Amino acid sequence: MTAAYVALEGGHVIEGRGRAPGTANGEIVFTTAYTGYEESLTDPSYEEQVLTFSYPLIGNYGVREERFESDRIHPRAVVARELTESVTDWLESEGVPAMDHLDTREIVTDIREGGAMKCGIAVGESVTEEDALAELDDCVAMSDHAEIGAQVSVGEAEEYGPDDPEAPSVALIDCGVKGSIISSLVERGASVSVLPYDATTEDVLETDPDLLFISNGPGDPANYEAAVALVSELTGEVPIAGICLGQQIVARALGGTTEKMAFGHRGVNQPVLDLDSKRVVMTTQNHGYTVGDPGDRLAVAQVNVNDDTPEGLVGTDADVITRQYHPEANPGPHDSLTFFDDVLAMTDAQSQPTVPADD
Amino acid sequence: MSELGTNREMSADIQGDGDATADGRTILLIGSGPIQIGQAAEFDYSGAQACRALQEEGARVVLVNSNPATIMTDPEMADRVYIEPITTEAIGEIIRKEEPDGVIAGLGGQTGLNVTAELAEEGVLEEYDVEIMGTPLETIYATEDRDLFRQRMESIGQPVPASTTISLDEGESVSELTEADLEERVEEAVDEVGGLPVIARTTYTLGGSGSGVVSEFDELLSRVRKGLRLSRNSEVLITESIAGWVEYEYEVMRDADDSCIIICNMENIDPMGIHTGESTVVTPSQIVPDEGHQEMRTAALDVIRELGIQGGCNIQFAWRDDGTPGGEYRVVEVNPRVSRSSALASKATGYPIARVTAKVALGKRLHEITNEITGETTAAFEPAIDYVVTKVPRWPKDKFEDVDFELTTAMKSTGEAMAIGRTFEESLLKALRSSEYDPDVEWADVSDDELEEQYLERPSPDRPYAMFEAFERGYDLEKVVSLSGIFEWYAERFERIADSTRAAQDGDFTEAAIAGHTNASIATTAGTDVDTVESEVPGRTYKQVDTCAGEFAAQTPYYYSARKSEFDSGPLLGAAAAGELEVDRDVESVIVVGGGPIRIGQGVEFDYCSVHAVQALREQGIDAHVVNNNPETVSTDYDTSDGLFFEPITAEEVADVAEAADADGVMVQFGGQTSVNIGEPLQDEIDRRGLDCAVMGTSVEAMDLAEDRDRFNALMDELGIAQPDGGAAYSENEAMELAHGIGYPVLVRPSYVLGGRAMEVVYDDEELERYIEEAVRVSPDKPILVDEFLEDAVELDVDAVADGEDVLIGGIMEHVESAGVHSGDSACMIPPRSLSEDTLARVREVTEEIASALDTVGLLNVQLAVRDGDVFVLEANPRSSRTVPFISKATGVPIAKLAARVMAGESIDELGVDERIPEQTSIKEVVLPFDRLPGSDPRLGPEMKSTGEVMGSADGFGKAYDKAQDATGKPIPDSGTAIIDLSDGKFPDPDTEEGDRLVAGFTDHFELCEEVDLVRAVREGKVDLIVSRDRDLLEVAVEEEITYFSTPASAAAALEALEAKEEPIDVQAVSDRPKRSAEWGRSP
Repeated sequence: MTAAYVALEGGHVIEGRGRAPGTANGEIVFTTAYTGYEESLTDPSYEEQVLTFSYPLIGNYGVREERFESDRIHPRAVVARELTESVTDWLESEGVPAMDHLDTREIVTDIREGGAMKCGIAVGESVTEEDALAELDDCVAMSDHAEIGAQVSVGEAEEYGPDDPEAPSVALIDCGVKGSIISSLVERGASVSVLPYDATTEDVLETDPDLLFISNGPGDPANYEAAVALVSELTGEVPIAGICLGQQIVARALGGTTEKMAFGHRGVNQPVLDLDSKRVVMTTQNHGYTVGDPGDRLAVAQVNVNDDTPEGLVGTDADVITRQYHPEANPGPHDSLTFFDDVLAMTDAQSQPTVPADD
Repeated sequence: MSELGTNREMSADIQGDGDATADGRTILLIGSGPIQIGQAAEFDYSGAQACRALQEEGARVVLVNSNPATIMTDPEMADRVYIEPITTEAIGEIIRKEEPDGVIAGLGGQTGLNVTAELAEEGVLEEYDVEIMGTPLETIYATEDRDLFRQRMESIGQPVPASTTISLDEGESVSELTEADLEERVEEAVDEVGGLPVIARTTYTLGGSGSGVVSEFDELLSRVRKGLRLSRNSEVLITESIAGWVEYEYEVMRDADDSCIIICNMENIDPMGIHTGESTVVTPSQIVPDEGHQEMRTAALDVIRELGIQGGCNIQFAWRDDGTPGGEYRVVEVNPRVSRSSALASKATGYPIARVTAKVALGKRLHEITNEITGETTAAFEPAIDYVVTKVPRWPKDKFEDVDFELTTAMKSTGEAMAIGRTFEESLLKALRSSEYDPDVEWADVSDDELEEQYLERPSPDRPYAMFEAFERGYDLEKVVSLSGIFEWYAERFERIADSTRAAQDGDFTEAAIAGHTNASIATTAGTDVDTVESEVPGRTYKQVDTCAGEFAAQTPYYYSARKSEFDSGPLLGAAAAGELEVDRDVESVIVVGGGPIRIGQGVEFDYCSVHAVQALREQGIDAHVVNNNPETVSTDYDTSDGLFFEPITAEEVADVAEAADADGVMVQFGGQTSVNIGEPLQDEIDRRGLDCAVMGTSVEAMDLAEDRDRFNALMDELGIAQPDGGAAYSENEAMELAHGIGYPVLVRPSYVLGGRAMEVVYDDEELERYIEEAVRVSPDKPILVDEFLEDAVELDVDAVADGEDVLIGGIMEHVESAGVHSGDSACMIPPRSLSEDTLARVREVTEEIASALDTVGLLNVQLAVRDGDVFVLEANPRSSRTVPFISKATGVPIAKLAARVMAGESIDELGVDERIPEQTSIKEVVLPFDRLPGSDPRLGPEMKSTGEVMGSADGFGKAYDKAQDATGKPIPDSGTAIIDLSDGKFPDPDTEEGDRLVAGFTDHFELCEEVDLVRAVREGKVDLIVSRDRDLLEVAVEEEITYFSTPASAAAALEALEAKEEPIDVQAVSDRPKRSAEWGRSP
């Protein structure tokens, strides 16, 4: 049997069964979703992380490409109580180390107590605890991954949706976008230009956008300076939307702050209260950073019921709507798909650009 | 949508003061009545939780339920508790007296919903200005009327199976319907849904009674005819069969601001076509991809919004993988109320559906309701699960030899067990063990053909075991899947379990332990001892059910055990086993062992006793933990105990809990036979491990003495207490000799009986021979007991509490039925009415003598018979009995609580409680499951068959009996046509004075049926009441729902009830019914 070890920050090493061989390190996080492992594993926001599934049985209904959110697996390694053969084969074919037959609940509670932490993982015929500890030593803090955007973003612009000048044109800054965000926009008739994470204002304006959309993505929003600059320049010129990291980038651009959370929100059951309708919806989340103070130019429209963190922001002086959670679902509840209708509705008003009073 | 409108107006009303609390409003909560197939203890749990929730919000709660064996009818549960029939007459009276502002209908099962609908239809609610809170009545109609439901679903674009109804025209009756006419209608309906097979269903019935997948046209004809007769609105639904699809249930919650969540989904491992109550069910789903799951989730939310439901609701889907990424689904059914499934969902996730439903009905929003388990989140969230939950039903297969237990769309199970594990294998094996079901099959004698046809293809309670057997024989996965229809993912895990069992036989124990076997069973399989196994396998540690998969630290979690991984083998001792336990290991603590799944002979009354024991301990400042596995019950509610352990009840697993929690004692007296049975092995296990933990109360040795026939006889002889003549026979010859010595009739049964299993009265040698051949196989290690049958004796039940010195009599109950009817099936009354003071004094004396001879500490139940003033002891059991709750409700003395206090060290003297006798008569009557179990013998006899009980109280016997019959749902009609058939020898000859009196009595109220063909007369609806023991006739009476009496005693009691019909119904809160302290019956 293949040996496997995961070493957690602080030196706690847990033995398990080796599934897909290799060594890796990253920030260890957990998701509480019990379905949607294909979508989660292909979610670029898990870049540089080691994903632990709190649900013990992963891979039950096989692996199908139609359900992927990007073209590869993003977590650096995977830890579960039990991985089926089909998901193991997939992980192995993409060279992602994976282990199971260990107490994942113990890891989850460790993360809950100690916060998201570094880890090292070693899986293979002859690996030892030391190999995992060596990986742990090499692990870099998430905020130090300065070029993380480059790892997940398109290199050159890509076009989706109708080639129709009448269709709303969306310039989508790819900081690690999930496929479902693009398809949610395209399904609603938009034509989407997916641009690299470091696109300049000129690159964006060249697409003649009716909407600037900042995608989700991995890591610390502080490492996305180009996108932050883009938003601060274009706010008021073009309506702006953002999801997850996108909300954090928008907040930083408009005078707000962001901060690292203890261990973040990852799962498909995060309750969000809309302050206007008083209605609570269930949302998919995957973030380790959050908006702290949104600043004066953004108002909090939605909050997390559990910890009051901002889940939805709107511009006070410009057309801006952002969500911390993932309205595009996949995995998770379809409760908030209307977000895409709302942001595209902003493009209708595009002919009469908002003129901020104090601009 | 007018429904939604109604709701919104209503919630605006509630919020009149800008504050969503009850403001002292009076709320009527209707319970579900007796335990029956399709409606078990789950409504005691949901009702009790709702009572607490409503009172927390400041409401004044008026509760009505006819079932005394419930926690919800405890006097402290509500401001006013009525134990009265759930009929419009009785509840109408209660409404007149209490003037409630609102009624919550969705918490009392189908019974509660139906009676609320009737109260509304009769105008009672309007007359007294009582608002229906929570889910509106229109919604109930929209979900129960299939056509209406279908239209509503189609209007919001939700796919439903093709269906149509067959109904009677206005004024048309079933008996008038010609065969040709019926055929035409049925043919038309079958064509409309796309041909046979179809599902035929009767509307407005509990648990799908009278429904099933039908492939033959002739069978369909007869089902439709019967269905038209039984349906409340004369309708039978014919639906497209979606057999073979995966069946899902989604538990949904919605508040007045339209926040909607799902609590969890549940996946049936048996394919569609088997009632979900009959199926092995797993939470969360395993085999549906996220997209399919989310599509059904969204559909569930759309449906609950469309229907305007506020509170909990259950939606059933059928789903299949049609090649698309998300698969396809159909909406099958909606239950707009708390249900068995919602109890399961609550226990599986920690989300208290009934509590939240009650608060939502008062106008609270989900995000305003605290999640008490985490203490920091709210009810506006969807639980995250990091374990696998499996529910296995429990069937009364051992009680009904004539009944076919093939699993169908109609429910036959009486209860269920739930287990939690980290893998499906662990969860399944724990659940099967918890169900305490043992197939009556010698697998070695079963050929491959028989295995395939009888056990794999045919769904039955034995199928899981047959799958293990098949894999152990080397069947491949594909074959088992194709034979059983069980989905491959599950079948594969059955195979892994079988593989692990084989490995254990070869000496490798680890896989078997991780798969969920106990060390004890591995030791037996491998032919080794427990110490060896224990030293090699991973130990059990405790994990939390915390609603959030560990994301938040929990305040009041509960626990399940899981084996550590193979990389962490070896026993876990003391605190090392505690895992995530947050119980206090340093304070005095006691484990109360519960009763497991509800079954015949072991009903909700033992959960009542367990809960009372826990309450008493906590009141004394002792931490009380519960080990139980029944998801329907109050004992497994998260806040009942200090530590709740969802575990199978075996000596090993209870000892593990004791070790992990460092418990000082274990109480095994309260959970019925399940807990009593582990007494001795648990003591052994505690000794083996050297734990400092006592099996409390009456010693295991004394309990054994009471059950060992020979030793008990000797003890009674020593005490000079009379017993029926009898003894144990170890061969057929010995049995004959004994019978001849005693003289016929004799009562025969196997020793160590459970609930009168296989007990019979035989009248001659021939019957005795037949009994021995057919019913039991006598052998040296399985003797049968042969006893004098005390014909016409009055039977008594006594429940008492003893502390080793003093005895407190809880009550003396006189059975209505005479000897020959199992005590659990006999109606009984308190106080007794046909015994002299001297006899009662002797009964008390005998009880005290037995209590002291058995060194009883705790509860004692004694069954006695009185003939011609002589008192005979039939049985004594130093443990809780099924009459404990009835006694407690009738007298107001909570004897289970007192027993627990005594077991924890108080003396009866210190309790300062006297025996109390009700001034009025209270009757306990049973509810029988024959209508659910076609082919069963509907006559009362020595074998126990009842599933539940009701209580009726009034000044006199007649009215009390009448109320009790009303409460069972089989009221005694006051006029019409009767069949009085006294031809059976058990009835008095009509030519005798006694027989004549019976016939004449009924003739005063009824026309006697003159028809020659009685069966046909009953079929044609021409008969209203039957007195008979003709099995064929009574089976028809059961089908036609005609009230009948099968014993002379019950027939005579019915006559008294008829005489009391004119008395007004006396509705009184249970605590208002007068009692007196007892001086009678005390020994001089």
